[in-house]
Amino acid sequence: MTEFLLASVLAVLFGLGTFLVLRRDVVRVVWGITIISQSANVYLITMGGVGPGDVAPVVAHGGDPASVTDPLVQALVLTAIVIGFGTSALALVLTYRVYEEHGTIDVYDLGGGQ
Amino acid sequence: MSQTLVIAPLLVALFTAILTLLTRSNDLLTRTVSWLGGLAYVAAVAALFDRIVLPLGSESATVAYQVSNWRAPFGIVLVADALSVFMLGLAAAVSLAALSFAVLYVDSYGQRLTFHPLYHFMMLGVTGSFLTGDLFNLFVWFEVMLMSSYILVLFYGGPKHTRAALNYVVLNLIGSAVMLVAIGGLYSTTGTLNMADLARRLLDPGAYGVDVVPVLGLAGVLFAVFALKAGIFPFQFWVPAAYEAAPAPVTAVLSGVVKKVGVYAIVRLYFTVFAAATLPTSLSLPGLSGTSPLAFFGPVLFLMATASIVVGGVGAVGRENLDTLLAHSSISQVGFIALPLAVAATAPTESLRLLGVVAALVYAFNHGLAKGLLFLVSGTVFSAFGSIEFDDLGGVASRAPLLAASFLVGALALVGVPPLSGFFGKLLVFDVTARATATGAAGAAAALAVALVGAVLTIAYYTRAWNVVFWGERSGVVERALPDRWTVAGDGGVATDGGPVRRLSLTGEMVVVVALAVAVVGFGVGFEGLYVAAESAARAALDTGTYVNAVAPAEVSG
Repeated sequence: MTEFLLASVLAVLFGLGTFLVLRRDVVRVVWGITIISQSANVYLITMGGVGPGDVAPVVAHGGDPASVTDPLVQALVLTAIVIGFGTSALALVLTYRVYEEHGTIDVYDLGGGQ
Repeated sequence: MSQTLVIAPLLVALFTAILTLLTRSNDLLTRTVSWLGGLAYVAAVAALFDRIVLPLGSESATVAYQVSNWRAPFGIVLVADALSVFMLGLAAAVSLAALSFAVLYVDSYGQRLTFHPLYHFMMLGVTGSFLTGDLFNLFVWFEVMLMSSYILVLFYGGPKHTRAALNYVVLNLIGSAVMLVAIGGLYSTTGTLNMADLARRLLDPGAYGVDVVPVLGLAGVLFAVFALKAGIFPFQFWVPAAYEAAPAPVTAVLSGVVKKVGVYAIVRLYFTVFAAATLPTSLSLPGLSGTSPLAFFGPVLFLMATASIVVGGVGAVGRENLDTLLAHSSISQVGFIALPLAVAATAPTESLRLLGVVAALVYAFNHGLAKGLLFLVSGTVFSAFGSIEFDDLGGVASRAPLLAASFLVGALALVGVPPLSGFFGKLLVFDVTARATATGAAGAAAALAVALVGAVLTIAYYTRAWNVVFWGERSGVVERALPDRWTVAGDGGVATDGGPVRRLSLTGEMVVVVALAVAVVGFGVGFEGLYVAAESAARAALDTGTYVNAVAPAEVSG
């Protein structure tokens, strides 16, 4: 059940992110990317196993070491979140700079970049 | 000791980046530290080259360094083999030239602000990507490299630069998310992220309970990311704007080195790691079949490479600006690097496969040096005349013959005229494609024809650039700029920082450009050494067993 729920959530998130990336407004594009990278993180978590018997890999809290989920993916996700945080901040600042330089954040008005 | 040496280039780049941050208050000190760091980087790479590849022609070594002695696949592992070191050699050569150029070229405000730390962090990311033996670390090093390159593309902060950086950042962020998805999928399918462990599991999927069919699809997803980094069609559209926006020395590194990281990743992962898998014979996609993953990637890469050659070449012909012309040329030249790789992937014999990888590596090396040289020439033209638009330029050769000669050397190297290094690169590419045609490979004859068209296009656009910029009547801009800029400091010229250009820095830029031109000629005349190094690199790339044994990942139960 958890797998099915997470798979549906992932599908919706990826779809939403893609929809936003294809908008004309640069801010929405940036949010779209943020959603896509966050859904990639959720996807990574599911790769560690979310079966009914799996518990969080915190042994001291009563989990049985034999049935914990794979802790590696959680370490990967932590790294990916930190990187995603930095890149999202950069993308937002860049959006502001684009607005300062061009007076618009409409992709159509910005033109082809040449 | 020799194992610790593997991490040396990484540490040098990291410490230089930190030192340049610490010495920001003193402009001259920052430049000195940064340049010395570039020199130390070359020394570290040379020491590694000496350990791994030399003496040339003998069996090359493969050395793995397990950081903090945490054994693979649990710890972070760095692997130096002939392929990594070959690419590092290219990176070191182009990087030192670009850095020497940047110290003189980039305006003093920019140098004080961020240029040097960013540059060295970018080189850190490049070095890490070449050395890492772990798929997720590859992602992290990509991010280190990209984060710095985002800001370097954005460096001047004008309308053109913010627009170009927006495209570059958005595309690469999507690429990163896709890469994460592919990595996650590979981990869940194979149970490991260590490349050597991955190869070992794919060699014997039954023993580890690995299903190899999904690996093919996930490798395809990963492939798109690497193609985006390398700028191969249909992922090439970010290239021209980004290359035009970045400062000239950064563009030289982006085109000469950062692009090659994508190429390296394709060679390392597909030829060393994924090639180990054997797919079930029942698996076939429309038009594609075979038992090796390479049999599926070969035809796709074939199409992408030929399309790159044509799209880049046709795009370059009509450009009205030196940088955009060179950027489109880059797209076309990456096609020439990918083409022999495609042949190698579908090659029926081991010797042809080896030759294909050798051709790609030699071409990549030549392109890195020659295109780096051309972008630096373009930067010098901008320093001297304040413009790189074709409309403004003309007759440069009559007043700056050395600059013109250096451009000619770079252009001829890419066209493929002996005795320059580019001749051998092109010769090998055509040789490999012709051999594939002789074995009756489908489409090889068409690829040969496309490569020929690409070569003719290369001649066409460089001839045009040469005629417009360097020959003919001196244009008004060239006439006006010359007396001020090539003699002692004058007040007529305006440099990138708004002040007059000093003769000293122009002379320095010329020295770098000429040195790089001499290197291009040198690698052509002494091609034997380059070929032998490329051959041992290709052998290392195709030798999965040695790679796995060097890393020797521990067995994991369950």
